[in-house]
Amino acid sequence: MLSKLSRRQLLKSMCAIGALVATGVTAVPSWAQDKPTAGGTLVYLEKQAHTSLYPPGAGFYPNAGVLNQITDKLTYQNPQTLEIEPWIAESWDVNADATEYTFRLREGVTFSDGTPLDAKAVAANYDVYGLGNITLKQTVSEAINNYARSEVIDAKTVKFYFKAPSPGFLQATATPTSGLVAVSTLGLSADELGRAPNIIGSGPFVVASEKLGTEIQLTARKDYAWGPAKVKQQGRANLDGITVLTVPEDGVRIGALLSGQGDFIRQVHAYDEAQVKTAGYTVYGAQTRGTTHAVAFRPGNPLVADLKVRQALLHATNSTEIITTLFSENYPKARSPLSSVSAGFVDLSSELGFDPEAAKKLLDEAGWKPGADGIRQKDGARLSLGAYESLNYARSKETLQLLAQQWQKVGVELKLLAGEAGTRTKDDLDPLKTPLVPTKVERADPDVLKSQYYPTTRDQLRQKGGKGVATEFVDKTLNDILDKVASEPNTAKRLEYTGDAQKRLIEQAYVIPLFEEPQSFAGAPDVKDVVFEAVGRPVFYSAWLDR
Amino acid sequence: MSLSKYLLSRLGQALIVLWAAFTLSFLLLQMMPGDAVLIKYMGGDFALTPEQLANIRQIYGSDNPPLQRYLSALTSTLTGDFGYSIDAGVRVTALLADNILPTFRLAGLGFLAAVVLSFTLAFLSYFSPFSWLRRVITMLPSLFVAIPVFWLGIMLIQMFSFRLRLVPVINPGPWVGLILPIATLAVPISAPIAQILMRNIDDVMTRPFVAVARAKGASLNWVFWKHVLANALLPVLTICGMLFGELLAGAVVAETVFGLNGIGRLTEAAVATLDVAVLQAVVLLSAATFVTINLVVDLLYPLLDPRLRKNAKAV
Repeated sequence: MLSKLSRRQLLKSMCAIGALVATGVTAVPSWAQDKPTAGGTLVYLEKQAHTSLYPPGAGFYPNAGVLNQITDKLTYQNPQTLEIEPWIAESWDVNADATEYTFRLREGVTFSDGTPLDAKAVAANYDVYGLGNITLKQTVSEAINNYARSEVIDAKTVKFYFKAPSPGFLQATATPTSGLVAVSTLGLSADELGRAPNIIGSGPFVVASEKLGTEIQLTARKDYAWGPAKVKQQGRANLDGITVLTVPEDGVRIGALLSGQGDFIRQVHAYDEAQVKTAGYTVYGAQTRGTTHAVAFRPGNPLVADLKVRQALLHATNSTEIITTLFSENYPKARSPLSSVSAGFVDLSSELGFDPEAAKKLLDEAGWKPGADGIRQKDGARLSLGAYESLNYARSKETLQLLAQQWQKVGVELKLLAGEAGTRTKDDLDPLKTPLVPTKVERADPDVLKSQYYPTTRDQLRQKGGKGVATEFVDKTLNDILDKVASEPNTAKRLEYTGDAQKRLIEQAYVIPLFEEPQSFAGAPDVKDVVFEAVGRPVFYSAWLDR
Repeated sequence: MSLSKYLLSRLGQALIVLWAAFTLSFLLLQMMPGDAVLIKYMGGDFALTPEQLANIRQIYGSDNPPLQRYLSALTSTLTGDFGYSIDAGVRVTALLADNILPTFRLAGLGFLAAVVLSFTLAFLSYFSPFSWLRRVITMLPSLFVAIPVFWLGIMLIQMFSFRLRLVPVINPGPWVGLILPIATLAVPISAPIAQILMRNIDDVMTRPFVAVARAKGASLNWVFWKHVLANALLPVLTICGMLFGELLAGAVVAETVFGLNGIGRLTEAAVATLDVAVLQAVVLLSAATFVTINLVVDLLYPLLDPRLRKNAKAV
C-alpha cells in the first residue's frame, strides 16, 4: 500500500502529523485505548515496605499492593457499583437470616505451586481467617463476623456456617484481606509470611524474587485464566511483570516518576499534585469508601465526657478551611462519619456546621470559662487536650495543627503529642492521655462502622470492655445499633441501621468528620487501565504500557 | 608478646565487648515503654480480644520475667538464632543476609571515597601556589561537615538523576546506583579526615627535622612524601577508626533517600516498631564491626611508625 503513495503525498501527510504534534494537539488513535499491548514491566514505587503478608493484614497499603496482584478472592466487588460479582466463586446462595453461605467454585483454578484451588482449599482459608490460628500467630480477620465453621460439600462446593447473622460476609469475601492462599502457606507462622515468595496465591502475578525491605519482582502467570468474570480483562495479565520498589522519600518518588524512571507511584501529597499534573502525568485520587478522616473523642476522659464540650468542638471545627489550606479537590468535605460513596451514607452536613459563636456558648453553658491565658477553665482544670498524629493518614500532623488553631479561638487547647511507637501505642489505649484521636477505616461495607467503634474491634471511643484502660464510658445504644448493622439480614433495614449509627455518632458528637480521604497515586501517561478496587488499592491485572 | 598471643587476648576482649553490648542493649530496650507485640497487635488493623492478645504474648514469651527472656535471648543468640522480626514477619538472619553486604559495600566505598577526597584536599592545599586557593581549600572541610547528608543526597538526585538524567536512582545497575550514595556519604566523612590531615601537615612542617631536611637541600616535594606525610598519618588513622559510627549514621540517611536496602534502613524500621530481636542483632553486628576496625587500626600503627614496632618488641 505504501508503494502506491507518491512521495509527495507521503511528505504531505508526514508534515501534517508534524504540525499536529507541534501545535500540541494530542490526537490519540482510538486503538491505543481499547487494544492493550502485551508485555513490559511496570515499575511501581511504594512509600513503605510491606510487613507480614498474612492476608487479613492487607489493610496496610503496601501489603495490599502486593497481595492484590498475587491472590484472587472468592468474589469481586465492582468498584463503581459496589455490587458483588463472581470471581473464584461462580455463584452463591445465602439463607434468609444470613447464617449460611454456599459458594460454587470455578473449575480448573490452581495455585502457582500447582495445587488446586478447590472447596477444601477455600474452607481451609476461611477457617483461619474466621477463627484465627493463634499458635501460628494468625489472627481473626477484621472483616469476618460471627464465623462458626466450614463444610466441604464436594470438590467445587463449600458452605460456611455462622453463629449469628453475618450479612457483611459476602462483601468480606471480596476485600483485599480475604485473598486466597495455598494450604501450604496457611501452614506457615505469621513470622514467616513477611517473605513474599512464601505467599502462594492463584493470582495473575507470582512473586519471582524479593530483596527484603526494598524490592519485589512479580512475573505474570502465563496460564492465568480465571479473572473476575465480568471485568473486561480476561486471560493472563497484559504486563509481563511488576517491579515493586520501596522509595520512602516523597521527592524522590515524584522525581523518579517525572524523569521516566518509575511508572506508577503511591502517595502523592496534595501540594505535589499540581506539579505532577502540569507535567502531563495522571493523579489518581482513589476513593477509599470507608469512614471519613475524622477525629474521635474518648468520653472516658472527663474533659470530653460532657456532650456540650464535644458539640462545641464539633462546631468550632472548620473543615472547609482544613481542605482548602492543606488538601485539594480530591479530598471532598465530609458530610457524615461515613464516606458519601459508601452504602448506607446519610447526609448529616446540617448538623456539622462551623459556628464558633455557638461553640463558645456551649462551652459557657458547660461551665468552662476563659482563663487568664485564654484557655477555658473549670474547677481548676484547663480545657487542654492532647492528640498524636496518625502516621498512616495524609498530613495528619498539619490537620491537627490547623485544628488546634481553630479550637484556640474558642478557648480550647489542642496539644500535639510526640513519642516513639511504644509510648504512642500505650497512650492511645488510655483515654486520659489521648482524649481524641485521628481515625479512619476503609471497607466498602456498613460493617466498617462496627470495625471502627465497637468495643471488641478497633474501639476508637475506648469503651469499657474494649481495648482501653481505666475507662467507665460505654454507650449501649450505639453498640446495639452497631450489632444490628453487622447482623441484620434484610438489606434495606441494615442500611437504615447504618444511618442510625451515623446519626448517633454525630448526635453524641463522638466524632468530628473532616474530609473523605482518597489514596493518591500518580502514573505516567502511557500507563493505562490500572484499576482501584473498592477501597482504593491498585490492581495491575488489566494494566498495560502504551509504549 | 607474640602476634598470635596478642590476637588471642584481643579476641577475648572482643567477646567481652560483644557480651556487654548485648546485655546493655537488652537492658535499655527493656526500659522502653511498650513492646513490639503491643505495637503490632494493638496499634494497627488487628482487632484482637484481650484473650487472643494474651495468647500471642504467651507464644512470643513477651510476658516472661526479664531475666528469663534475657537468658533465652542470650542462649539462642549464641547458637546463631536471632529469632524473628515481629513487624516484618521474617527471620532476623534472613533480614541480615539481605542487608549486610549492601551496607558494607556502601560504607566501605563511601569511606574509600572520603579518604581519597580528603587526601586530595590536603595535597592541593599543601602544594597550592596561591595563598587564596589554600585558604579556600582549608575552609572546605568545615563546609562539608555543615552540609546535612539528607539535603546533599536529595540535591545530588535532583541534579544528576532527575535534571541531567546521568544516573538513574530507580533500578540502577549494581555499581552505577552506588555513585550518588557514595558521594553523599563521602562528603561529610571526608571533612574530619581532611581537617586532621591538614592540621597535622602544618604541625609537622614546623618541626626542626623538616627545617634540617630543607637546609640539607631537600625539595619541598621530597620532604612532603618522605617526612611530613608519614608523621602526619598516625592521628588520621585514629580518626578513621572512630568514624565508623558516623559512617553508619550516614548510611541510614543515604539508604533511605536513595531507597537502597541495607542495615541502616533496617535499623530505622526496627527502632520505629521496637523490634527488639532485630535491634539486638544490629547492635551485635555494629559492636563486632567496631571491634574489628579497632583491631585493624591497632595492627596498622606499627606498620606506619617504626617506633611503635620497637615498643611492641620491648613489651
